[in-house]
Amino acid sequence: MKFSFFHLMPYPYLPDDFDEKYPSSSLTFPNTYFDPKLGTQLYHRYLDELEYADQLGFDGIAVNEHHQTAYGLMPSPNIMAAALARRTEHAKIMVLGNAIGIRGNPLRVAEEIAMLDHLSGGRVVSGFVRGIGWEYFAHSISPSRSRDRFNEAHDLIVKAWTSEEMFQWISPNYEYRYVNLWPRPVQQPHPPIYIPGAGSTETMRFCAEHRYTYMSVYAPASVVRRWFDGYRKAADELGYVPEPEKIAFSVPIYVADTSARAHAEARPALEWLFRKGLKQTAQLHSPPGYMSLSSLRGVLSAGLKPFSQLSYEELLANGQAVVGSPDEVTGRLRELHEQLGGFGQLIGLFAIGPSTHEQVTRSAELFATEVMPALR
Amino acid sequence: LPNEEFRQLAGGRVHVLRGGAGQPLLFLHAAGGAGTWLEFHQLLARGFEVIAPDHPGFGGSDDFPEAEAVDDLVFHYLDLMDELGLDRPHVVGASFGGWIAAELAVTAPHRIASLVLLSPAGLRLPDHPVADLFLMSPEQLVGTLYHDPAIAARAFPASPDLDFVLAQYRDLTALARFGWAPFLSNPKLERRLHRITVPTLVVAPSDDRLIPVAHARRYAELIPDARLTEIADCGHAMYFERPAEFAEVTAGFLNGASR
Repeated sequence: MKFSFFHLMPYPYLPDDFDEKYPSSSLTFPNTYFDPKLGTQLYHRYLDELEYADQLGFDGIAVNEHHQTAYGLMPSPNIMAAALARRTEHAKIMVLGNAIGIRGNPLRVAEEIAMLDHLSGGRVVSGFVRGIGWEYFAHSISPSRSRDRFNEAHDLIVKAWTSEEMFQWISPNYEYRYVNLWPRPVQQPHPPIYIPGAGSTETMRFCAEHRYTYMSVYAPASVVRRWFDGYRKAADELGYVPEPEKIAFSVPIYVADTSARAHAEARPALEWLFRKGLKQTAQLHSPPGYMSLSSLRGVLSAGLKPFSQLSYEELLANGQAVVGSPDEVTGRLRELHEQLGGFGQLIGLFAIGPSTHEQVTRSAELFATEVMPALR
Repeated sequence: LPNEEFRQLAGGRVHVLRGGAGQPLLFLHAAGGAGTWLEFHQLLARGFEVIAPDHPGFGGSDDFPEAEAVDDLVFHYLDLMDELGLDRPHVVGASFGGWIAAELAVTAPHRIASLVLLSPAGLRLPDHPVADLFLMSPEQLVGTLYHDPAIAARAFPASPDLDFVLAQYRDLTALARFGWAPFLSNPKLERRLHRITVPTLVVAPSDDRLIPVAHARRYAELIPDARLTEIADCGHAMYFERPAEFAEVTAGFLNGASR
């Protein structure tokens, strides 16, 4: 089992009337609430936490991309990865991922990841995501082109990394007459690729075909089980069994020395994450064209509760968060491993919403010293 | 009741409703309203042969995935006019359909007898932004489209079923294909409007909270000899909200224009 420390870098200082006044912490939530002084402190604190996770022996430290939101302060995850590359030694630096669906120039992503591969000495992991619905508003890209842009950008980037000959690239959304990547990446044939999935069968098949790591996001364990099974089935149809490490379970994790303390501290943090950080309207989440009609039919028929309506107890019961003493967290993760049909990577969100630096580092320490050895 | 038919073009099938007798009138629907024969169609059908196709990706028409932008829609409608044997129909377009109608008239003024634009989209006027309907919930959208809240309340089902929701999502997906960015506009259209040489009426509901009335006024200013009619106490969705008045204004103009 491999363990990673994932950071969203949230901006937790929301106004008291946030719940009544704002439909979301994203897109149109006024940036007057962003205090530059606090922002600077947060970036340095969060980078310290990721560096500390490397020292604690996590196998990976992970960042991601979000735009115009208090949910996560990394419009450019590659800048965060660059800041980590020369200050960490062992952990994989995971960019989970670049939102190639909304990038105007995806060749730039191929170039930056190749640079990061050199800066990190071949430790970079390259995730690709489409970007969340609201980011199509934020960057003026039609969501009706999302999937095509993602697919074309992916194909271009992989070819740019692996081709030893200059080539021209022409696809409906992109045209490059000269693709001739300098630098080429360190890792051969290219850095490992991770794809977060949210239930689309197209994504499961895509990951299985390319033998990429398939990663879950936020859903109840009963739903994640269907996704992982879908990925395993797609691999089976292609005639292979995926290595355990190609299946990654991601989940918020909070550990404290006692159960009571863990729950007292995790409850407000998780409630912030699901009710404020992830607060969004249907239009922000799935603007027209972002989902295929069949995916939308599936989601609407499933009748899942919106994040904001999930109680703390439901989040724990559903396996959408894991909280407790080291022994309890170890036991719960064993249960989830069983329930999900197995996974070879655990990507933990340890810095949750308004958690303090002391809480995050203590939780990560307890996890690294007591939970990881038990589960390895 | 209208006749329903499907017409095959190179890129797919077009769903067409047609009814009435008289000079042909091609009606280009708004972002909403595809695939439905409404009261105002019926009223116009008393004096005209009303031909109401669904745009690519809307209502009962196929997706036509190769249609990416409004210029593709212009060629689509020229193809459809050829297919239907329409030589010089009157063209009436509302909102998104008004934008297509204006682009069609710019490209092929000789193929059109006369033009009616109801609160048309299509212009980029930075000082008069179009409201972002893509961000609105169905309730917010309906509230924006109608002047009269009582009519708005009846315009959208209280508990829409799954198929209804999916059909709405498909229509808006097609709208996003043609109008996400630039937002519901063609920045080049303003400087091309002088090419419209047919009699033109621009209808502007005074309480248009989706597309500010400045857009209709700008159209009327730039299309040679265009007439502008502002309708008091009416919202953007005039052909839903005030069907009789819209039919009367339209028929009155077309009858005058064709004499």
